[in-house]
Amino acid sequence: MNIMDVAYKDLKRVFRSPFALVMMFGAPLLIAGLLYFAFGGLINGGSSFSLAPTRIVIANLDQANSSTSTFKAGEMLIDFLKNEDLANILEITMASDEASARAMVDQQQADVALIIPVNFTQAALAPEQKAAVLLYQDPTLMIGPGIVKDLVNHFMDGFSGAKIAVKVTDIAVQRNGGQPDPDLSEKTSQQYAAYLSSASHAEALHLVSPSGQSGQAESRSAMIGPIMAGMLVLFVFFMGANGAQSIIREHEEGTLARLFTTPASALTILAGKFVGVFAALIIQTAVLLVVSALIFHISWGKPLSVVLATLGLVIAATGFGVMLMSFIKNTRQTGPILGGVMTLTGMLGGLFSNGIPNIPEVMDKVALTMPQGWAMHAWKLSLAGSIAGAMILPVLVLIILGALFFAIGLTLFRRRFV
Amino acid sequence: MRILYLAYKDLLQIVQDWKSALFLLAMPLLFTLFFGFVFGATANSKPDIDPLLPVGVINQDQGNLAVSLEKLLEGSEVIRPVVLNEQEAARADQMVQDGDLAAVVTIPFGYTDQLLADQPILLDVIIDQSQPAGQTASRALDTVTGRLLGAVEAAHISVNTIKSQNGDTDPSNLQDSLAEALSAWEEPALTVTVEKATGGASKDGQASSAGGFAQASAGMMVQFSIFGLITSAMVLVLERKSGTLQRLLSSPMRRTEVISGHILAMFLVVFAQQLILAALGQLIFGVDYLRQPAAILLMIIVLAFWAASLGLLISAISRKEDQVITLSLIAMFIFAAMGGAWFPLEVAGKTFAAIGHLMPTAWAMDGFQNILLRGLGFQSVLMPAGMLLVYALAFFGLAIWHFRFE
Repeated sequence: MNIMDVAYKDLKRVFRSPFALVMMFGAPLLIAGLLYFAFGGLINGGSSFSLAPTRIVIANLDQANSSTSTFKAGEMLIDFLKNEDLANILEITMASDEASARAMVDQQQADVALIIPVNFTQAALAPEQKAAVLLYQDPTLMIGPGIVKDLVNHFMDGFSGAKIAVKVTDIAVQRNGGQPDPDLSEKTSQQYAAYLSSASHAEALHLVSPSGQSGQAESRSAMIGPIMAGMLVLFVFFMGANGAQSIIREHEEGTLARLFTTPASALTILAGKFVGVFAALIIQTAVLLVVSALIFHISWGKPLSVVLATLGLVIAATGFGVMLMSFIKNTRQTGPILGGVMTLTGMLGGLFSNGIPNIPEVMDKVALTMPQGWAMHAWKLSLAGSIAGAMILPVLVLIILGALFFAIGLTLFRRRFV
Repeated sequence: MRILYLAYKDLLQIVQDWKSALFLLAMPLLFTLFFGFVFGATANSKPDIDPLLPVGVINQDQGNLAVSLEKLLEGSEVIRPVVLNEQEAARADQMVQDGDLAAVVTIPFGYTDQLLADQPILLDVIIDQSQPAGQTASRALDTVTGRLLGAVEAAHISVNTIKSQNGDTDPSNLQDSLAEALSAWEEPALTVTVEKATGGASKDGQASSAGGFAQASAGMMVQFSIFGLITSAMVLVLERKSGTLQRLLSSPMRRTEVISGHILAMFLVVFAQQLILAALGQLIFGVDYLRQPAAILLMIIVLAFWAASLGLLISAISRKEDQVITLSLIAMFIFAAMGGAWFPLEVAGKTFAAIGHLMPTAWAMDGFQNILLRGLGFQSVLMPAGMLLVYALAFFGLAIWHFRFE
């Protein structure tokens, strides 16, 4: 019996276990798939991503002076929000008063109440008048109310801008010895309105994606890639420890002692088991990389970088698993130890916070105290298209850590079983 | 009485296993702390931490409009300008890619001159619009630049008016009018005020300082009500495997009593777990569960009943311990993620959100959020509790249908 025989037997056992198969392939793909399903359209650039329409209830309290003008700013705002272009994102209902509108939000019949104040038209026209519309929103919502606020702000900035133009022109005229003239104010407002409807107003920003994310596929990869990488690292580390527990299981079942009676040396048997774990993790990583690339269109990076990241991950995960299992007395302890330690180290290693914006900086530093954090770092570099040279540091750290963990585990196992 | 004895035996087995404490309490608390921290609860509760999105500014122009733009950015309620030095500017692209900055705005050379000459010129913005932070920053930049260009246009209109009135072409007219227009934009005539419908959840009408933890705490309670079932479902599977379940049938106990005893134990485990997690949520994370204790208690009872029914179903269809773990994990991932325990369903796509709202966990989250975030009263949990109860009965029925003693 040689190393490869032991490794092959362990591999067969792993790939015949439904539990192992679920944890190796099912769980990481399921979680990444759920997140892809939730946000997949969003990362396609917005064209196919549709949020549920925001239900908005409007209480128009605006009291425009209809005897002097047909201009009613409150109604204009409502017409703007009822525009066909916004029909897919807003569902509008009207309320007779502020209390009814608020009640609809309180009873979750609406997401946002828009209260247009009594002096809205006055404030849009009269020089020194000001007004504030009120958005009363469901506190559990973020996106819908934000969109409504942007739209209302955008509309009102038109009025505010026109008033500013009139004011500035009046001041300039007076500075040059002229007198304020209502006709001039009307003309100025019209000029400003013409500007608002012109193309020069619409275009102020030239938006570009960060390099390497210019295309739709790259943008998709940018979001789902780190999430999948997090799941890859988490479950490869999990399976590293799960595979290493075969030593303890065989010890309990008495087969390990029987193995030691064969001509194969104890070192050969232990080495065979470790090779088995290593091979299982290589297969797991390769399958997950290929399947996720096919399903989620993830571009994992340059081939050599992917190989280096895989190597670092598998060596560190095998070593970590062996060390972890060397501390465990029996298989009853493996479940909670695996679950607890992998969750804690994975969490600190930043595996659960990929794709979440504005993570506190300290979390990045904490992540690098964990082998999972270094593995994640290596995969992020690879996903960003880094060349092999840039991968040397994290991969080297992973190999050193893996070797260290492995040495500790091997020493403890040898003391215990040999 | 026999039912109680059986439940008591199960509870003893579960409580004596130290793994239970890990799955039922330690892990949900750890995750609540982590997600509460990550999702900004800490930032909300500490005024010294800036919640505004950082946007890098590379000012190649240095003209007065570029300076005005920086001032307008500083006045934004959404973004915070960060002026980048030469070295940082070289890494601008990477900083956006890494999420260190929500966007980087480059004010190109000649920006002021071009705008004053009424010639179009665009700001270059590196931004990842696939990220929510990028989308928010984009909208904020639109507002700010709209105001800057509006001020320039107002100045042009005034200068043209003077010119048409008396032929005055003094260049200082443009600068004066521009300064007045920019100053006026500091306090526009029409503004938006936002008020959150937090009801009695906070006194000032603003979101509670525990807002981040309110989502994380309720979400993890719902998630780990499922995960915590592993140990209790395992007891039943081991009893079936060892033949204890069959032997019980030779005793005076009826089948219904055996099943009732086991599900009662599962219910009590989850019920106690939820009570402890709510109490710790109140004490450690400041989530106000005690604001409506009766409503929270009702939600906990129906959630525990649903989770126990799910546990019974898992143990009914599992033949080995491995299967219990696998099915519990899969159930946890699907019900927690799709029911809004990980993130609010509002931020997911329309289809995902629509399917998610059909999940029993979505109703559980609704019930908790009605109290914790929306500040509503007891009546607001009746509908979520009722729906959760319907799911519990359906799962219970399925479990009974599948249940085998051998």
